[in-house]
Amino acid sequence: MKFRHFMAALGSTVAAVLLIIVAFLGVYAWPAMRLNGFHFLFENSWNLGGLYANPITVHGQQILPGAHYGILFLIVGTVLSTAIAVALAVPVGVGAAIFLAEAVPQAARRWFSFFVELLAAIPSVVFGLWGYVVVIPFLGHHVFPFMAKWIGFVPFFGGSTGSGYGLLTSGLVLTLMIVPLITATLRDALVSQPEMLREGAIALGASRFETLRTVLLPGVRRTLIGSTILATGRALGETMAVLMISGNALNYLPQNIYAPISTMASFIVSQLDSALQDPTGMAVRSLAEVALVLCLISIVVNSFARLLIRFSGEQVRVTP
Amino acid sequence: MLRPGRMIRGMEETPAAPGPEHKEADPHAFNPKVTRFRVRGLNAYYGAKQVLFDVQMDIGAGEITAMIGPSGCGKSTFLRNLNRINETVSGARTEGEILLDDQNIMRMDVSALRRRVGMVFQRPNPFPKSIFDNVAYGLRINGYKKNLSESVEHSLRRAALWEEVKDQLHKSATALSGGQQQRLCIARALAVDPEVLLLDEPCSALDPVTTAKIEELLVQLKQTCTIVIVTHNMQQAARVSDFTAFLLEGRLIEYQATPKLFTNPADPRTEAYITGRFG
Amino acid sequence: MSTVSGNESAAAFPGAAGRAFGRRFWDFAGWSICGLAFVLLGGAMLWIMAMVLLRGFHALTIEVLTHVTEGYAGGLLNAIEGTLILGVGGILLALPPGLAAGIYMAEFDNGRLAPTIRFLADVLVGVPSIVIGYFGYVTMVVAFGWKFSVAAGSIALAIISLPYICRTTEMAIRQVPRSLREAAYALGASEGQVATGVYLPVALPGVLTGVLLALAISVGETAPLLYTAGWSNYLWTGHLTNEPVGYLTYAIWAFITEPFAGAHALAYAAALLVTVFVLIISILSRLFVK
Repeated sequence: MKFRHFMAALGSTVAAVLLIIVAFLGVYAWPAMRLNGFHFLFENSWNLGGLYANPITVHGQQILPGAHYGILFLIVGTVLSTAIAVALAVPVGVGAAIFLAEAVPQAARRWFSFFVELLAAIPSVVFGLWGYVVVIPFLGHHVFPFMAKWIGFVPFFGGSTGSGYGLLTSGLVLTLMIVPLITATLRDALVSQPEMLREGAIALGASRFETLRTVLLPGVRRTLIGSTILATGRALGETMAVLMISGNALNYLPQNIYAPISTMASFIVSQLDSALQDPTGMAVRSLAEVALVLCLISIVVNSFARLLIRFSGEQVRVTP
Repeated sequence: MLRPGRMIRGMEETPAAPGPEHKEADPHAFNPKVTRFRVRGLNAYYGAKQVLFDVQMDIGAGEITAMIGPSGCGKSTFLRNLNRINETVSGARTEGEILLDDQNIMRMDVSALRRRVGMVFQRPNPFPKSIFDNVAYGLRINGYKKNLSESVEHSLRRAALWEEVKDQLHKSATALSGGQQQRLCIARALAVDPEVLLLDEPCSALDPVTTAKIEELLVQLKQTCTIVIVTHNMQQAARVSDFTAFLLEGRLIEYQATPKLFTNPADPRTEAYITGRFG
Repeated sequence: MSTVSGNESAAAFPGAAGRAFGRRFWDFAGWSICGLAFVLLGGAMLWIMAMVLLRGFHALTIEVLTHVTEGYAGGLLNAIEGTLILGVGGILLALPPGLAAGIYMAEFDNGRLAPTIRFLADVLVGVPSIVIGYFGYVTMVVAFGWKFSVAAGSIALAIISLPYICRTTEMAIRQVPRSLREAAYALGASEGQVATGVYLPVALPGVLTGVLLALAISVGETAPLLYTAGWSNYLWTGHLTNEPVGYLTYAIWAFITEPFAGAHALAYAAALLVTVFVLIISILSRLFVK
């Protein structure tokens, strides 16, 4: 066989893997999808049913009596925690990128940047450990009560502050995990803007920061949007860190910003043991449906981001 | 070769220039007209390397002054010192005195200086914005208080670009041709109504037809603006400028009225350069 | 007219004498905010490192490195061994298809296949690792009957590593100058010979960077392994299926939530090992790139 054909065949595995994953999950979750229908996305009830009762048949599927699966609270938890993370990560990421690209002297740039990129290399579970051991006590005992007292009049910022587990904590830690993605990409884009553009602005009397604000940043707009969307994708799928600090809510929506939540990703981990108790297997299949929904969302978000970046002509690094 | 008629064109358009040919052998011929820039004892360095040696020059108002010389002679460095844009290069250092209307430019607010002394670069460098936003940029940045659209139109007319782009002001500037982009950069520089316009080999990336258009433009502009142009094209210097300064290896060798410099240079090195023996 | 005095036009611009105070202020505010952003990130980084290093250092005894886990105490030898086995296993499985895809995309990029692979690889990067883990559970652990095993865990990690390896390979090969290949082809070399003899050796550092990157990610993964490798208190007995293995990241997650100080110590020790390992790999891979 010709070399190139052999390479093509072997290399196509990479492409096939993604399609296989979606296909298998879809097939496995199909019974659950038939049972749950569209209500799956809009209801707040994850209930395995009577575990010691005999299975009954609903919608053509064997399930335990009383079993009902709805994941609205998961969708809300995922969307809100990601939204907080992205809202915080963009300004911090842009600020840090500007600092690295413009304020740090050329020679030191590599080391300063490296320092920020190391943040991206830290495993999710270590972030979770840090969150669980250090951040939660700190926020729960000191910061949140303070916040609720002084800015509690703002909607969702008042009320019970809980013990530190919850939406805001998850959002904050997620921010740290996704910022390096934005910063690294944006820094590269800023550095590669031609010097001529800077000189043109400075010759008209703009200061260096004004040049950044009015000429350089608008010039890298598409890269910024693309990397933000990629960062969003990353935040949507974060599992371990969120699992350890979110409080693992079940079947209820957060009342304020300090309340516990669950995300789709963390739920899949936290529920496996219980789901295995269901002899009909419907619980496990419903979890698979959650995984499928999560997979499809991330595929859509990532595809959108990649296409956007491709059309801006910029190159985005694949580093995590 | 250089035709006398063409060379004196600069002189014809400047009415009653009080005889610039009086000081024959003095390379620093002082111009009794209003002086815009007074440069004294200018030494410039890049790191340890010295690139300008004790340059002294008076640049007259309302004239076109050309700077010629072989590559690396320091003419661009000199120009870039006039609006202090050289400061953005790391390792660059300047000593000496440059006075703009008797104010030391080193002590002025650099933003205000650059509004008064504009610059056009070798390669056109329009911002990735619309044509309108490019011309309006300097106005917005400097907090212009009057009507933007009027100023933009006025600048585009002065740069002889208005007719070509008046219907597409919101199109991206990068869609224009090279020659149009360079005229846009000139319009952009003119928008803030500078007293002086510095041009660093503005036509070197352009074709002869466009070059001729821009040269015509400069001759029109000098009525309202002092112009200093760096060029490696001697014919261009001869066509367009009133005064020419010849630099060699960082030193000002000769500074004379253009017709004089090109027909009867005082220094043998000047003669060697303009007759093409080197550079 | 500007030729005479030059200062009339200045009246249209505020703060003509010196730059308006407002502009200077916003510049200062701008740079400060950027500096603050960097300090926030740097500070968080230092805080995490401090916690991991300080608490982990106390917990990392010789005993931890040489004993296996016994319930919630003991050591981490089984976990260390498991992490290495799974990590190396994942890389070994990902290398052939990843390299092949990289070579194909770099060298034979005409037509629709290469861009398709590239696009799908880029999207695969973004798929949450828990989804890949669940997929592994559904197919390998349950359907194939392998149960929690090294095989399932390695394959899950391989899937996660694939896009990194193939993209870095592609980029590394693209950097090799065209002329080298052309010289070889002109001498009659076949495609396979040009690959192994000409550009792969030159692209090797780049490929290695991708491998290191994938290894760092594999060592840090938890969720997919929970669903494919399970957990074991014992050392691996060599079975690829039907035998779960331990791995460091499990220890970090599972033991910190237990109410035993001994368990916590193991969690910190595991965190230290994992973090240090990942940092060393990150530093090494950056030194490779130029």
